[in-house]
Amino acid sequence: MSVGPTLDGMFAALEQAAPIAALRESTYAFPLVNAAHIIGIALLFGSIVALDLRLLGWRRDAGPAGVFTRLLVPVAIGGLLIAIPAGLLMFATDARAYAASPLFQAKMVIVALAIANALWLRAAERRGPTLPFRAALAAAASIVLWLVAILLGRLVGYF
Amino acid sequence: MARHWAIAGAILFVLAPAAPIAAHHGWGWATDEEFELSGTVKDVRNANPHGTMRLATKSGEWTVEIGQPWRNAQAGLTMELLRPGTRLLVHGHRSARRSERLMKAERIVIAGKSYNLYPDRPS
Repeated sequence: MSVGPTLDGMFAALEQAAPIAALRESTYAFPLVNAAHIIGIALLFGSIVALDLRLLGWRRDAGPAGVFTRLLVPVAIGGLLIAIPAGLLMFATDARAYAASPLFQAKMVIVALAIANALWLRAAERRGPTLPFRAALAAAASIVLWLVAILLGRLVGYF
Repeated sequence: MARHWAIAGAILFVLAPAAPIAAHHGWGWATDEEFELSGTVKDVRNANPHGTMRLATKSGEWTVEIGQPWRNAQAGLTMELLRPGTRLLVHGHRSARRSERLMKAERIVIAGKSYNLYPDRPS
């Protein structure tokens, strides 16, 4: 699935930018950026799954959901803020090929949905007490969406 | 409890060496038998996590995975040597999926000179 000619030209220019070319041909920088992407995903997924399980009612005796939200959401956001720039850098080294990959396109859609789901839940919580059922629904969606995003991300490298 | 840790350790010990082989960027996807391919370079890309080269051959267009940039540099394989139009011979391993025209290079011969990406492996 190819993207439009304008986007293709933009991505080609991005690939040829000097810092991106240096990263593409680097010895240590690329694997370190790759590691940062994984560390970010680990922080995001590890914390968000723990929170989602609590919202789904698991280990309710461990404490009120709000306590876990306060602890785990900042860790998840931190992970996301590491994973996104690292991912963008790796994307830039081969932008046209990634942009044309259906697996990569699907991953971007899923990541956008996962972030939207998290923002929607936060907004609902801010407006007032959320129904446990709605929170549980968002939590289940969160686990599934992030899991699919990780799987798609891995598959991009193999197909 | 101690026994659980011992079992977990034993499992890790057995599986850990298999992990790099299973990775795409290793050798697991290729066959074990030595393979040779000669052709003309269509284009080449020196990139992480590994470079790729497209070769025009008698059996059609092949994709040849070369090393990551530091490995290519270590072997003396510059992109100038691999510029489009260059005739060369690649030693390595082809994909285990026979329908794929894809191989991983161990050693590349250009004008009689060998450039060895994996000096520790027989090729």
